Amino acid sequence: MDEVLQQVAKLITEVVGADFLLGVEITRDTTFSDDLGLESIEFVALADKLNAHYGVDLVAFLADMDIDEIMAMSVGRLVDHITARV
Amino acid sequence: MSRFLFVVPPLTGHVNPTASVGGELLARGHDVAWVGHPGTLAPLLPDDARIFPAIDDVVEADIRAKRERWLALRGMAVLKFFWEEFLIPLGHAMVPGVSDAVALFGPDVVVADQQALAGPLVARNAGLPWVTSASTSAELVNPLRTMPKVDAWVRDLLHDFAGGDIRFSDRLVLVYSSAALVGEEFGDEVAFVGPALAHRVERVEFPWERLTGQRRVLVSLGTLNGPAGERFLSQALEAVAGLDLQVVMVAEPRPAPPNVLMLPSVPQLALMPHLDAVVTHGGHNTVCEALAHGLPLVVAPIRDDQPTVAAQVVAAGAGVRLTYSRARAADIRSALESVLDEPEYTAAAELVRESFLAAGGAAAAADRLEKVVAG
Repeated sequence: MDEVLQQVAKLITEVVGADFLLGVEITRDTTFSDDLGLESIEFVALADKLNAHYGVDLVAFLADMDIDEIMAMSVGRLVDHITARV
Repeated sequence: MSRFLFVVPPLTGHVNPTASVGGELLARGHDVAWVGHPGTLAPLLPDDARIFPAIDDVVEADIRAKRERWLALRGMAVLKFFWEEFLIPLGHAMVPGVSDAVALFGPDVVVADQQALAGPLVARNAGLPWVTSASTSAELVNPLRTMPKVDAWVRDLLHDFAGGDIRFSDRLVLVYSSAALVGEEFGDEVAFVGPALAHRVERVEFPWERLTGQRRVLVSLGTLNGPAGERFLSQALEAVAGLDLQVVMVAEPRPAPPNVLMLPSVPQLALMPHLDAVVTHGGHNTVCEALAHGLPLVVAPIRDDQPTVAAQVVAAGAGVRLTYSRARAADIRSALESVLDEPEYTAAAELVRESFLAAGGAAAAADRLEKVVAG
């Protein structure tokens, strides 16, 4: 579990750039929308990395969510999804 | 001769294409009127344009204040706010004024901007044909198609408002772009007419005598940008310092290198022929105006349709995309040098320009509108 969290945090850092995460520790509670402010192109890049690393389809994962769930989507929820799938 | 009523939100980018198409219809001898916020409309329309009020200054100020709050949001919260706090309330607010305008003016056709939901609602209730003025091409391909529950939520909001999905007319959708740039095929009702630039009114002054140098670049983030815009503009200033080009930057006064001409607003369309490249947030009008002049682009999309528009530019090979909230001076400088120095970007922009010319602009839009009246 911690291993997946560490790996996801690493992939997010690669996408966003370490410079912009200074002072922001990525935890299970970090949200993609509000805390990370992931831009659409970064979201696509992260989806590619997750797919390459875990074979997990981020777009399909989000397809089941309503707007409030997507707004509240956290790193922890993604980690749980990956853990359940791999 | 026929009567056309344009229904528009209080947003410059949404009024501009209607100013051009309406101007063309007027030149052909038709009767044309606009309904919306008179204070926003008047500076963008001909002196003798007929304007009906649907939004007063208080409502308009409230909308602007909301958009300020909206700029601070990120991610999916932007979309939620856009529909719940902006589009639907704006639709309700405009219904009485649009109803009055329809009753007083008696149009043959209602031309509704895609963000003026009152237009289709009122037209339908009055039994009038209505068509869509799509001020961006980005929503033709439903950006929510990969998120069916979010898409259903939008449809529910529209059903509550108007009893149906009124985003696009099934009679005619005017799109101010080309099929080549959008890169998809659509039904016959979707008319790619290219940017509508004829008859446009620009009342902003410009110090033409201060244009110097061999190469010139416009940097503009549009009328809405917020704090992240300040960050981007300061990085852009650092990026262009010492480069052998003149930069026209649309921003409030601030310290800048000597090769930067800083102005709070510019007559953008008149400026285009004097430029070599444009750095923009990816607003549909600015991007298409630049491409209509064969200018390559650096696009740093902020939100809404802008990422889609930026992707169109990149796919066409006519520009470089940057990450708006994180691009550094070095990234901006390198992107700018690429589009200016590598001729393939300009060549690709030229190809888009040719597709726009073939699309026909305001005249093609007017032809299609006349056909709607003819039935």
